Amino acid sequence: MDSNQTLTIDEFNLSIENIIKISNDILDGWTLHVNKENDNGKYITKKSTISIEEPGKGNPITLTYEHHVVFSLSYSVPMICFNVWKADGSVLSMEEYLNINQNFDDSNMYNTITQLDHPVLCRPFLTLHPCKTQEIIEPFLSTSKNPVISWLTVVSSYVHLKILEEYIKHC
Amino acid sequence: MANNLTYVQLSSCVNPSFWNKLTELKLNVDKLDEASRNIWGYFTNLNKDCVNSILEVDSTSYNENFNDQKLYIPFHGKILNKNTIEQFKECNKTDLINLEGKTLLESIKNGEVIKDPSLLNVFSILCFADLKKYHYYYWFSFPVLKDVIIEKGEEIFLSNKFTTENIYKLYNDFSALTANQKSYFIVEYASDELKLHKLEDKLNYITFENHTQYYFAFYNISSNNIPGSQLRNYVALILHYCPFLEEETQNFIAFILSREGSKVTCKDSTVFELKLPKADHGQNWVGWEKNERDKMGPKLANMKNTLDPNKLADDAVDLNLKLMKWRIMPNIDLEIVKNSKCLLLGSGTLGCSVARTLLAWGVRIITFVDNSTVSFSNPVRQSLFTFQDSVDMKPKSKAAADNLKKIFPGVIATGHQLNIPMPGHSVGESMLEQVRENVKKLDNLIEENDIIFLLMDSRESRWLPTLLGSHHNKIVINAALGFDTYLVMRHGTFNENLTETHSTCPEGFRTISGNRLGCYFCNDITAPGNSMKDRTLDQQCTVTRPGVSQIAGALAVELAVSVLQHSQRNSAPAFYQITNKAAELGCEIENQCVLGLIPHTVRGFLSSFNQVLPATEKFKQCVACSTTVVEEYRKNGFEFLLQVFNSSKFLEDLTGLSEMFKETECVDVWDLSDDEDE
Ligand SMILES: [Zn+2]
Repeated sequence: MDSNQTLTIDEFNLSIENIIKISNDILDGWTLHVNKENDNGKYITKKSTISIEEPGKGNPITLTYEHHVVFSLSYSVPMICFNVWKADGSVLSMEEYLNINQNFDDSNMYNTITQLDHPVLCRPFLTLHPCKTQEIIEPFLSTSKNPVISWLTVVSSYVHLKILEEYIKHC
Repeated sequence: MANNLTYVQLSSCVNPSFWNKLTELKLNVDKLDEASRNIWGYFTNLNKDCVNSILEVDSTSYNENFNDQKLYIPFHGKILNKNTIEQFKECNKTDLINLEGKTLLESIKNGEVIKDPSLLNVFSILCFADLKKYHYYYWFSFPVLKDVIIEKGEEIFLSNKFTTENIYKLYNDFSALTANQKSYFIVEYASDELKLHKLEDKLNYITFENHTQYYFAFYNISSNNIPGSQLRNYVALILHYCPFLEEETQNFIAFILSREGSKVTCKDSTVFELKLPKADHGQNWVGWEKNERDKMGPKLANMKNTLDPNKLADDAVDLNLKLMKWRIMPNIDLEIVKNSKCLLLGSGTLGCSVARTLLAWGVRIITFVDNSTVSFSNPVRQSLFTFQDSVDMKPKSKAAADNLKKIFPGVIATGHQLNIPMPGHSVGESMLEQVRENVKKLDNLIEENDIIFLLMDSRESRWLPTLLGSHHNKIVINAALGFDTYLVMRHGTFNENLTETHSTCPEGFRTISGNRLGCYFCNDITAPGNSMKDRTLDQQCTVTRPGVSQIAGALAVELAVSVLQHSQRNSAPAFYQITNKAAELGCEIENQCVLGLIPHTVRGFLSSFNQVLPATEKFKQCVACSTTVVEEYRKNGFEFLLQVFNSSKFLEDLTGLSEMFKETECVDVWDLSDDEDE
């Protein structure tokens, strides 16, 4: 077995098309986008909305997450990019986001969540730092029918993304 | 025990792309036109984990066709974008919502709603967009009939009333509907079976005799057993077509989708027994949304951070630096760098490369001084200029400032065309006022700024700024180039008291405190004169290897940033190795500041790709930074300078250098040129 195996863009595209198919069956809301000008122009997005208590103030606020799963050519790994906005449309800065996020303690949050340009949209998004992704995804490349789903099940909880069990049946 | 029914209100949820698209349409299509525009709102109760029932709008809201993605039901909306804040405020909200209601009533009466039941779900946005500030004032309304009193009877979960098979079939029938039919439909229960009908197929067949076998179903906006306020519009429709139901009890299904594991189900829907009121198609409509302070009033979306490209660039630059702080260097002081005002004397190869590196460090205030214009040879070496600048013969200082702003609009860059008066360059009578003016301007610029970079192309032009830098006690960073050598140094602080302050020093090193560190001229024991006339040795070299200026420019900025990180700033001591012993011992000085060492001088030799870090003491007879010279300037000001401009010999006499020359035969002159590539 090749020890330095990476996910190819074709495998990535197959994986996300599979996600779209499952999502359409269970109305999970993933949408496929195709940007023909990029080699890695296929990516999927999903919106979800939550209520949280505003830190320090205690009143509930509505936050909408928009997650993007997109292929990074420079790392040869899938990336999960996301934006979070309030009900008026204003997008949280990275500092505001980390301020309200409960999943990270002070010591490692800056090493886990970072801001990078979206590989296709070339606009700043919050993201999980992609340099650890290869490590996470590598074991799945030979064992999973859908390595992207397998990887998402590992990382999704860090970014407030819910992966329903239906997907797990497909990997 | 009958209670009056209470309702859930929708809350608006705007996606950033909605404002983006609105801006685009306002600027490119609508311009000053205030006509209202039809838009779509998106509703689903799946994939939500929030207390509110939210209606979403995004960029696709402006599309002609509704894209349900199999998930959403449509709300029919209108956006009225006012041209001024006054018009926005003065707009009569009651009239506006009543007008919306009237249109809705008409579509009930003329039967349009029967064909497309989603027309009962309406909203409107009154809006004013301040596009200069990216501020959007907006107010949503969800028009519903006022004063519709409905009595609530029994309520029961669908799953407690019907079999699993029936519920499963109902969901499948529902899924097959088009999005606009999903909003309102009729469910029939007959012969132990649930059947779903479109309104247009069944409404006319419901009679007083058979109405109990029918359920009026609506896709409820709330998941917690309370109907959405839109139910009142539904009741208006029902009573218009089934007047026999007035004051009768009728079954309804508040239809909701939820998940059982991964699968979607409608089993959590609720069956209500409702006693309908008398038909009273009143003209009064309500539904304006409350704002975040729970008051009836508009909301304000400040989208500057998201939509203003200038702000995006500004934040991105800072974030890049903050990542360095967060991930590598928690103690670095980025604010002091960002807030430092930098004066760049000379806007050639060094000036361009210094400016760009300062920009990368997040510096926001950069001032260029130069006296020449962009020539055809400049753009390839001087990274801020273009071919067009040379065609236009733009002044370098101005071209550099303009182009720097093109690279990063967040920078406050200014350019000054200014001749820096030089020793030995005689001032004629006609030029006297101009020179006086220039000295004053340079003095002001140096006083106003925090870091002075000496990046000129001649040795003597560095004299006045060095003196003024000492006089104002600024951080002065000097960079000079030879063909394949460079010198980057910081000047010591000015202090009449030259006593060494004690600082600990590892073995193999020596230290010089900041107030005893030399300036550019301390190493050279002739006064700067007119290089064209007197000094041919190190001034005539006019070529440098192209990379040298980039290296030296970058080092100049990095040295300045290191100085800023030290608590004593330019008074920070400098260390230098006295023997190779330090290297042998493995002694290193790494943590003089958070970034490491703060050398006095960096001298590089590109032929050997080598770099050394000497430190030199202040020369007490220095022509530029010695107490004698600074005191003389403080006492006699411009008159003193004038004497120096007219004869650099004056400086040598003043500092006693002339005396010294008599004693010394050999003058060791530095093999360094100040010239750049001109
Ligand atoms: Zn000196």
